[in-house]
Amino acid sequence: MTPASRRVGAAAALLLALVLAAVAAPWIAPEDPTRQDLAATLAPPSRGHLLGQDKLGRDILSRVLHGGRVSLIVGLATVASSLVVGGAVGAVAGYAGGWLDDLLMRVVDVLLAFPGLLLAIALTAVLGASVQNVVLALCLIGWTGYARLTRGEVHRLRSREFVEAARALGAPDRRILWRHVVPLLTAPLLVQATFGMAGAIVAEASLSFLGLGAQPPTASWGAMLNDGRAFLLVAPHLTIFPGLAITLAVLALNFLGDGLRDLLDVRPATDLWR
Amino acid sequence: MTRLALRRVFLALPTIVAAATLVFLLVHVVPGDPVDVMLGESAAPADREALRHALGLDRPLLTQYGAFLTGLATGDLGRSLVSGEPVARLVAERVPATLELTLGALVVAIVIALPLGVLAAARPGTWIDRAAVAFALLGAAMPSFWLGPLLIIGFAIELHVLPVSGRGGLAHLVLPACTLGLGMSAILTRMTRASVLECVGEDYVRTARAKGVGRVGVLARHALANALAPVVTILGLQFGALLAGTVITETIFAWPGVGRLTVEGIQARDYPVLQGCILVIAAGFVLASTLADVVNAALDPRTRPGAPEVR
Amino acid sequence: MLCVLSCRGAAPPVPPGTLVVALESAPAILDPRYTTDANSSLVSALVTRGLTRVNERAEAGPDLAEAWQQPAPLEYRFTLRADATFADGTPLTATDVVATYRSVLDPALRSPKREALAAVADVVAADPRTVVVRLHATTAAFLETANLGILPAALAHHGPLPREEVVGAGPFRVVGTLPDGGVELAAAAASMDGTPALPRVRFRVIPDGTVRALELASGSVHLVQNALEPDLLPWLARRPDLELVISPGTTFQYLGMNFRDPRLADRRVRQALAYALDREAMVHRLLRDTARPATGLLPPSHWAYAGDVAAYPHDRTRATALLAESGLGPDARAAARRFSYKTSTVELRRRIAEVFQDELGMIGLSVDVRSYEWATFYADVRRGDFQLYALAWVGVADPDVYYRIFHSSMRPPQGNNRGAYANATMDALLEAARATLDREERRRLYAEVQRLAADDLPVIPLWWADNVVVKSRRLTGFVPAPDGDLRSLATARLEER
Repeated sequence: MTPASRRVGAAAALLLALVLAAVAAPWIAPEDPTRQDLAATLAPPSRGHLLGQDKLGRDILSRVLHGGRVSLIVGLATVASSLVVGGAVGAVAGYAGGWLDDLLMRVVDVLLAFPGLLLAIALTAVLGASVQNVVLALCLIGWTGYARLTRGEVHRLRSREFVEAARALGAPDRRILWRHVVPLLTAPLLVQATFGMAGAIVAEASLSFLGLGAQPPTASWGAMLNDGRAFLLVAPHLTIFPGLAITLAVLALNFLGDGLRDLLDVRPATDLWR
Repeated sequence: MTRLALRRVFLALPTIVAAATLVFLLVHVVPGDPVDVMLGESAAPADREALRHALGLDRPLLTQYGAFLTGLATGDLGRSLVSGEPVARLVAERVPATLELTLGALVVAIVIALPLGVLAAARPGTWIDRAAVAFALLGAAMPSFWLGPLLIIGFAIELHVLPVSGRGGLAHLVLPACTLGLGMSAILTRMTRASVLECVGEDYVRTARAKGVGRVGVLARHALANALAPVVTILGLQFGALLAGTVITETIFAWPGVGRLTVEGIQARDYPVLQGCILVIAAGFVLASTLADVVNAALDPRTRPGAPEVR
Repeated sequence: MLCVLSCRGAAPPVPPGTLVVALESAPAILDPRYTTDANSSLVSALVTRGLTRVNERAEAGPDLAEAWQQPAPLEYRFTLRADATFADGTPLTATDVVATYRSVLDPALRSPKREALAAVADVVAADPRTVVVRLHATTAAFLETANLGILPAALAHHGPLPREEVVGAGPFRVVGTLPDGGVELAAAAASMDGTPALPRVRFRVIPDGTVRALELASGSVHLVQNALEPDLLPWLARRPDLELVISPGTTFQYLGMNFRDPRLADRRVRQALAYALDREAMVHRLLRDTARPATGLLPPSHWAYAGDVAAYPHDRTRATALLAESGLGPDARAAARRFSYKTSTVELRRRIAEVFQDELGMIGLSVDVRSYEWATFYADVRRGDFQLYALAWVGVADPDVYYRIFHSSMRPPQGNNRGAYANATMDALLEAARATLDREERRRLYAEVQRLAADDLPVIPLWWADNVVVKSRRLTGFVPAPDGDLRSLATARLEER
């Protein structure tokens, strides 16, 4: 086993554990995550409630488990949709060049130049706050990053010798794009996507800060972190555990992407130093 | 090089106008009425109508848009609906604060990310690599609305070495710049590491390595320069994201910047102020990404227009 | 580069002896003719004075006017204090009062206070110290609205004055604005009741609640009023340099319902909701006893308060029975037992919403909580686009406000009857109360109004929020007012460390 595959294995195992915990939340959570107990608000971790109780006396462990469902789905859905839209637009722009490139990149620029937060607020104001709309808003903001990255890479690859050679041999554009360019895009996009998923999980939290994330009583890590923020001074356990969950997910995602990148790298001799 | 820069700046203008148009449409589509916010609830319906008329809010949307564009062309951003003050002045007062915060964050991010990224790339797969990346990631894993108060509690309340919030001297800048910069250092570290590693696989680096140039020498002389291209692109993009991302940091740290003004504009449905803010943010972003492109072109001769086109 | 930037537009250093007050939003307007939000009104009231001043029982007392008579039902004659002066030392005369009132009445200047003074026909100066106000119609509420801050005649001809240009007869004067939207005041040397001991008062805008608490803890903010998370209060109170002062307040928190929804037009459903909500527990657990369960809009300190009204103690059995009676029992369709509840995005509001959701769930109702950014939420409430919502009435002075919120003709945009409540008895009572000037008769009629409101539940009263002040122990002589007024800063001082 190479170090890279071992790393992928470890990160994937951690991520899988988080995903499994989230999927199995309804069965393994010790309590209903919405069950309130106003007599025990902000109670610290105890035998009955391993991670303590929140501002409304709800079991934090159960909420962290259930919250993972929302946070992970938001992350996954956001990245998937952004990647598809951004990757396609970027590849077309980068490969076609010329006016199409200019036009598409101007659209990207306009959206990139536009404060995403405002877009999110506008969207949720019109459509109402919900998990679906959070994904929509994050995708609307997020796809442009992938588009620019893809376009830059394609642009760079287009003038590479092997692409020029393929073109000189009369290969059709689509084939060049799929056979020669797209495989080389995987690594940088994967790096971006793992970050993107981590970023989306954190961004969902930021939208929660504005009150625009998951709606009560649904728990998400971001919403828990935001709800608990007011109690940082008196009950830090409200934020430590969802914060830890986010951190773990972000770390796992990044190490996974990192390892995958090394594993999938088609180019030889990455281990030049050895 | 100059031609590219000029071309980009020329292309940037429609981008800014388009962004302004987008915000114009957006603020008029979103529910909420500035007159409600301004007059409160006790005003008579006739007074509401009169105010709406005086503000020009009863005109057709297209007419309002025309007036907005005319104002834009003549450099007149209008007046705040709330305070009646000129928008240009309100925004101009806030720009230095946001610029200071953003540059501060950029410095924090670069100071953390470049050494960490190169260090990680120099020893890929080792514990140094993983520790460097993990460290950088912690910043990204903590939303600023949580990290900010934690830093305040640590440095301002427990240690008493820095002020809690507000804008003043350099001491006031440290915590907000770190809050904003730490989040960005992760992506920058990651990008630096990835692109340095990628360059390591390129032929010219291998050649140099084969010729017996040392590890650090290769990194410094060959890999880093080429690795910088995507890093600079990300920097350019991140600068824009930072400008927009200041909203939360500015809210937490009571930092009187454009981000905060944008939020206030949204809350009061103060359309002219909102439009002015977006315009400035958009312009700042376009400027930064243009700069990134130009720098990139300087680093990589192949992306220069005028380089032999293969068709 | 950073240094250069730092020096531009940063807040000036705090001069020694300055009292620093943290607000959650900017006092954007100081011109008393245009203030609509609470923070603007608070700061404006430190800079200006009106003819009258509303006391803690919500009665009008003297301020610039030392006395007044009512020679005819439609005429008031105010006598100004002989020593009335503006902060710059120029005497304040009847001319200034007339100019200020006329500017508010001038439709061209579009003051939001015009409607409140709609009963005023004309204001004239009989002599430099006598102001005569003539009314179109009898209104018992006129004296309470006569607290409008007076500006110099020369300034009153223009529309909203920029904050730096506002000059009044208050104990403080404006020295400048801060880049964060805050404002800095200085003691007015020519103040009528002696120069305040506080040389300067700085109002900083700190939007985040946790940071306001941390600033208090760090000692760089000396006073925060009604803008702190209840759960942080014990932590703040434990700090040796801080002091927690809680006193009864007048802000009335209520649950609004839409009568356009036939289910909510059924009184039994409204009563079921009232019984289902455990207000005692919410006040104790969520608000940490910084509020008192309310019986109605008017707080007990109000002169027209009537406490002998129907109460709704927490009673789930009764709530369930009432629901069943009205056809919303367990056999009703799920859609019929579902309500939407709108709230703003403020954390505490959302938390309250979650408790409502839980408690209404216990009696078989499912509640969709939707939080909206403030302007959207407010627009929806005004439009009548809601089923349930929670909001507060702030600064209730004259009980005539009942007319604007419960009279059937007062649906928005005319008034504030957002839920479209209509009750002929209520209408008749409110019209009668509005038409009489006799204090005892009004008290009797408004007692009827309060009893009817408690029976019929046009809104469900939740609680009166206390006035919660956390201040530095160095600040002495500050007495919090029930309505949050900060005027006692005029006689407060900040001790040396």
